[in-house]
Amino acid sequence: MSLFVQSLILGILLGGLYALLASGLTLYFGVMRVVQIAHSAFLILAAYLAWFFATSTGLDALLSLVITVPLFFVVGVGLQRLLITRLKPATLTMMSVLLTFAIALIIEGMLGFVFTGVQRRIHFSYGSASVPLFGAEVPVVKLVAFALAVLALGGLWLILKRTEFGQALRATIQNKEAAQLIGINTDRVASYGFGLGLATAAVGGTALAMDATIYPSLHWHWIGPLMAIIVVGGLGSVPGAAIAAMVLGVAQSLLQIPLGTTWAQTVFYVALFVTLMVRPQGFFGGRLAQRF
Amino acid sequence: MRNASETLELERALTGARWLTAARVIALLALAAVLVVFPQTTKVGYLLSTGVVILNYAVTATGWNFMGGFTGYISLGHAAYFGLGAYGTGILVVKAGLSPFLALALAALIVAVIAVPIGIAALRVRGASFVIVTIAFVLILLLMFQSMGSITGGSGGLSLPRPFPDLIRTDHHRTFYYIYLGLLAVMLLAWWAIDRSRFGMGLKAVREDEDKARSLGVPTTGAKLVAFILSAFFTGLGGGLYALWFGDLDPVFQFSIMMGAYMVLMSLLGGVRSLFGPLLGALVVGIAIEFFKAQYGDTQFHLVATGLLLAVVVLFMPEGVIPAVKGLFARFGPQASSIREISAADLAAERDAEEASKP
Amino acid sequence: MSRWTSRRRRTSALIAGIGATALILSACSGGGDEGDDGGEGGDDPILIGISLPLTGDFAEPGQGVQRGYELWADTVNANGGLLGRQIELKIVDDQSNADRVVADYEALITQDEVDLVIGPFSSRLVLASARVVDEYGMLFVEPAGAAANIFEAGYGNLFYAAPAIADDHYNYLFDYIMEMPEDERPQTASYATMDDPLAQGAAYGLKDKLEEAGITTLVDEVYPPNTTDFSGIAAALAEADADLMVGGTQYQDGVNMIVAVQQLNYQPRMAAFTTAPTLPEFVDALGAGVEGVLAPTGYSPTADYEGNAEFVEAIAELYDREPSEDEANAYTAGQVVQAAVEAVGCAEQGECQQELIDWLHSNTVPTVVGDLAWDEAGRPNGAHFIQQYVAGQPEIVLPVDQSTAEFINVKPEW
Repeated sequence: MSLFVQSLILGILLGGLYALLASGLTLYFGVMRVVQIAHSAFLILAAYLAWFFATSTGLDALLSLVITVPLFFVVGVGLQRLLITRLKPATLTMMSVLLTFAIALIIEGMLGFVFTGVQRRIHFSYGSASVPLFGAEVPVVKLVAFALAVLALGGLWLILKRTEFGQALRATIQNKEAAQLIGINTDRVASYGFGLGLATAAVGGTALAMDATIYPSLHWHWIGPLMAIIVVGGLGSVPGAAIAAMVLGVAQSLLQIPLGTTWAQTVFYVALFVTLMVRPQGFFGGRLAQRF
Repeated sequence: MRNASETLELERALTGARWLTAARVIALLALAAVLVVFPQTTKVGYLLSTGVVILNYAVTATGWNFMGGFTGYISLGHAAYFGLGAYGTGILVVKAGLSPFLALALAALIVAVIAVPIGIAALRVRGASFVIVTIAFVLILLLMFQSMGSITGGSGGLSLPRPFPDLIRTDHHRTFYYIYLGLLAVMLLAWWAIDRSRFGMGLKAVREDEDKARSLGVPTTGAKLVAFILSAFFTGLGGGLYALWFGDLDPVFQFSIMMGAYMVLMSLLGGVRSLFGPLLGALVVGIAIEFFKAQYGDTQFHLVATGLLLAVVVLFMPEGVIPAVKGLFARFGPQASSIREISAADLAAERDAEEASKP
Repeated sequence: MSRWTSRRRRTSALIAGIGATALILSACSGGGDEGDDGGEGGDDPILIGISLPLTGDFAEPGQGVQRGYELWADTVNANGGLLGRQIELKIVDDQSNADRVVADYEALITQDEVDLVIGPFSSRLVLASARVVDEYGMLFVEPAGAAANIFEAGYGNLFYAAPAIADDHYNYLFDYIMEMPEDERPQTASYATMDDPLAQGAAYGLKDKLEEAGITTLVDEVYPPNTTDFSGIAAALAEADADLMVGGTQYQDGVNMIVAVQQLNYQPRMAAFTTAPTLPEFVDALGAGVEGVLAPTGYSPTADYEGNAEFVEAIAELYDREPSEDEANAYTAGQVVQAAVEAVGCAEQGECQQELIDWLHSNTVPTVVGDLAWDEAGRPNGAHFIQQYVAGQPEIVLPVDQSTAEFINVKPEW
């Protein structure tokens, strides 16, 4: 019983991180119809920056967010304006996959080039501390990382729901042409949306670096689950991605008890194939996803 | 007057076209001659094995192009079929004791059968989801083949005996070089035949505008599925041959996304619409990989170089080198055949842009 | 310096090869032969080819192996060389990739025409490269392929330059546990191991013996090499709360697993991990948590073996620390090759290689990890030390006659 509670708690903590990252990924798709394979490479980049910040200044890695979040936002806007818009609309979806794949390779290569392939880990004074809850132990670093993810997701939700920009963004996702007709500058909205997506990678990377060893090729292990999540959640749907992330994160954690680590990982892919056979538009997304 | 000048123009265009065809045939024969003669020019094992590796790239890229080239569906996960072909052959040889080439043929057929449900699932969706499914399939196979150690050897790997135990290593390379060359020739012939068939026309209609093709009565789903299976079959054949040649299989290396990415890069670089595009791309990329490795081998820079190359191709010549060079020729030479293709592509682009902005 | 020149040589040879093809293309005539420039001179350096994972998944230990090889070559060269000739190492990077490692050895042997080759790092890469080296009939001494299946493949040219293969790494620990009084002996054990031939081989070697001796297995988890989240495994381990915890780990997974276990407050009475604790970074990552952690190691800096004092001193001078196991294993591989070459009196491709192989099959070689001899398949005859962290330092605790510190029976809390 306590193993079940323990796994459930750990699953929720893991799901929070998945939710944050998948939201960013689905956001790109919503505004631009772009599958951003480099999302997890940027995630590792942010983790490295957090590590580098923490080891070279001796300050808490969380403070690196002050630098990485705005930086990633600007990079995201630049990426969209300078590269993505160069692609032909007819083949945008396919070509953007390849272009961002190329960016992922470049990031991985540069990380290896600059920081070498040696595995890095941030040392926290509270790294192995935990607090008891319902007879289970909740690791403090995971809790902090989860809080970070929740705050970022909450911030994203507020931006999408409560600001004028958020309305414009949602309008662009739902119907670009209509949004243009009512005077929304969809190009600018799209590039800011892209920046926002990349900013979530900055937060996610810092959260990741808090409780994992990082190395340049780590991003490959995140691509699969994140891609599966956004399809299950419905491409382009931020709440869908967040819900799917939480459900699958908890499912993975609980399935580990009977199945072991390896087979538990397959839950993402099984969910992906089931989604395509049963409900190709995703379980939480609208009909937008059907065509893609 | 106008008639006469038009006739003249036409005649000039025809002569131009004839010249172009002749030049193409000569270039083709020269390329074929080089490929056939190459193994006889050296006894250095490394050069021979590099030759086999590059032909393996050419086979997989051409195999990829049965799907990617005809239908425009980009699969980043074709390493799955390569790995399945390799492991299928390996398991049939090691565990079932079949003779190597019988195992190879059987494994390729099994790959084709496996491709049926995957194809049905993947082709229910377009674009983004299709790519995601193809990536996911590689990752799931990697997990499965690592876990099922009693059948696949797990992470300890699977070692195959040499199919020609009497040959010394360099002759072994030469033999496989010619087997690969034969397979490549068969695949190119098949691609060429499909390209000219009604079936091929249907597939290309999918590439240009899937909805219109369907409304015109092209059985798009069936056509796509057949192309997908064919593509998986040939890629699996390449994988099985690789297993027989290389001898040691490891899930991490057989089911790698990087390998699928190379197939895409090669095809795209050479040009997915051209018969010889993937082959050309494989030659360029295969040699470039060796070069980057030799030049920047002890840093991660080779990844950066591969990434930059892919980005340049995607941004500046998404149609590949062959069309780019052709375009260059067309600008100076007579304006003949290529007009239609370009305008069709542009039309499709406009249409898609329109539709993307629709709800 | 030598690496730069030799790398350029290989590139230009490749370009020459491509150029030759291009020549045929333009002239439409066959037979663009390349000239052989391999003139054998008596005072030429002995060229030794090595492929190592300097980038990619195994980069971390790969670089340790590189340091060991380079130190060995420098030591030999400073002492007048091998057979009076200087040693030149040609080290290439296989990017932790099996295709590449085979291509590398193929290039080293056939294109660079090296005189000798020594093995790469990691069982996975040794397995693939053993075949190519065998088919060219060359001696293959390797520092890192401990997995049992390598020796079952039946390569007669292969020699593992370390005391014992993976399955036997924990032999001394097993003996020690069996000698403990019944009531102090661990009654239950949990295993979590990476799906990797070496890590799993060592852990399961111990598991088989312990199960036979009646110690109950509570958890037996195998995780894929790319696992980054260990909380689930830690939850299972913590729930079972076994007396003995065995981790079949490499590096990052070892640290991650220990942190995850710490977070869930599982305190085993004994904890043993493969590889990870023998790396210098282990203490940096875990701090005081390492106290009492056990690990099998093929090497002890304090052991009184052939050339060990010299080796320890050289490493201390260069890096101001003790040698790591990877460095020692590479140095050992060098010593083994050196002994064979000096005894047989030759170092070139051809018949010489078989003489070297035969000599090693029938002789014992003194090295920094002890006297080594091999069976037909290349399995060494020794046993691994058991190392334990005592007062923050890795100390040898087993076997007792080589120990530098007392075995801590009950591990302090981490």
